[in-house]
Amino acid sequence: MSGSGRVRVAFVGKGGAGKSTIAGTFARLLGRAGRSVLAIDSDPLPGLPYSLGVAVDDRPIPDDAVTEGPPGGPRWVLAPHLDPEALIRRHGRVCPDGVRYLQFGNLRGHVAALQKAQHAWSQTVSELDRHRWDVVGDLPGGTRQPMFGWAKYAEVVCVVVEPTAKSLHTARRLLTLSKSRWAPQTVAVVASKVRGPDDAELIGSRLGAEVLAAVPHSDPVLAGDRRGAAPLDADPEGDFAKAVGVLVERVLSLYPAAAKERS
Amino acid sequence: MKIAVVGKGGAGKTTASAVLARTLARRGEPVVALDCDTNPNLGLSLGVGDTETERLATLREQIGDGAGEHAPTWEDILDRYGTDGPDGVRLSVITRIENPEPG
Repeated sequence: MSGSGRVRVAFVGKGGAGKSTIAGTFARLLGRAGRSVLAIDSDPLPGLPYSLGVAVDDRPIPDDAVTEGPPGGPRWVLAPHLDPEALIRRHGRVCPDGVRYLQFGNLRGHVAALQKAQHAWSQTVSELDRHRWDVVGDLPGGTRQPMFGWAKYAEVVCVVVEPTAKSLHTARRLLTLSKSRWAPQTVAVVASKVRGPDDAELIGSRLGAEVLAAVPHSDPVLAGDRRGAAPLDADPEGDFAKAVGVLVERVLSLYPAAAKERS
Repeated sequence: MKIAVVGKGGAGKTTASAVLARTLARRGEPVVALDCDTNPNLGLSLGVGDTETERLATLREQIGDGAGEHAPTWEDILDRYGTDGPDGVRLSVITRIENPEPG
């Protein structure tokens, strides 16, 4: 599957590290470059709309979009009238820069619904046209479930880490998990909320890993958040947007090697 | 008294819980601090250190993997999956077992 020129990226890390903020901006910068981008998240209370720049909307993907699968296959499948393209067309939100956004988290709620969301997510990303869509996933906080469950589709997994003890601790767990044979993806460290070069160096040295990109703490982005503006709209030419732009370039530079490793 | 601290990731749940637990303990209360997070970090904020926090997390994961045994009573949980922290706070990692991921 290498050479498709498309990317499949997942953002993981401790809660509050900046996954949604970076993921939404990342998706929009890809969209702005003229690419077809699907942004997905799995959180019933998602942060992604804020950074994509669309209103938070609780309209769920309807219950009947997912039905019980035939025996022998996955327990839940997309309904017969839906394939991934139709799911995006009917239930995907249209965001600035042409990004399409599917909120799988609102298929969650209790245990059965969580499985429904997971199966719908897996089927959608595995059947989606790889030659057309970039996929950017904003994954739940935590370690094992995001890494071994939701991130399976991704060729590049970005571990978002801010320079705090707990965020570093979580990142270390994620990096350990990424070495297991169930996690063959290319894993990259993204420093978040850094306040200077020392912070990115600290993160790199504490994790014993190369930092792919360092995204700064940004007062204009924070001020934008308070008045309901997405980072890219609050400060389009600012340091935050520039740093995520660098991240986009570096993730793109990991391909097609990342896709080859994955296949 | 039983207190639960909830909120969005990164909001400060763990930090507030740790300070609350140690403050109560300093007043002479017997305090049990339960870390119910799937990504347990409370040990870091209580001050038991990286290594001990990771040891407790690993113990929990072994139960999740079927390699460790569930404790039959809450006293066993505190005993087997816990550690003594500063100010006499007893910390235990007690996350529920996750559902298996879909194949």
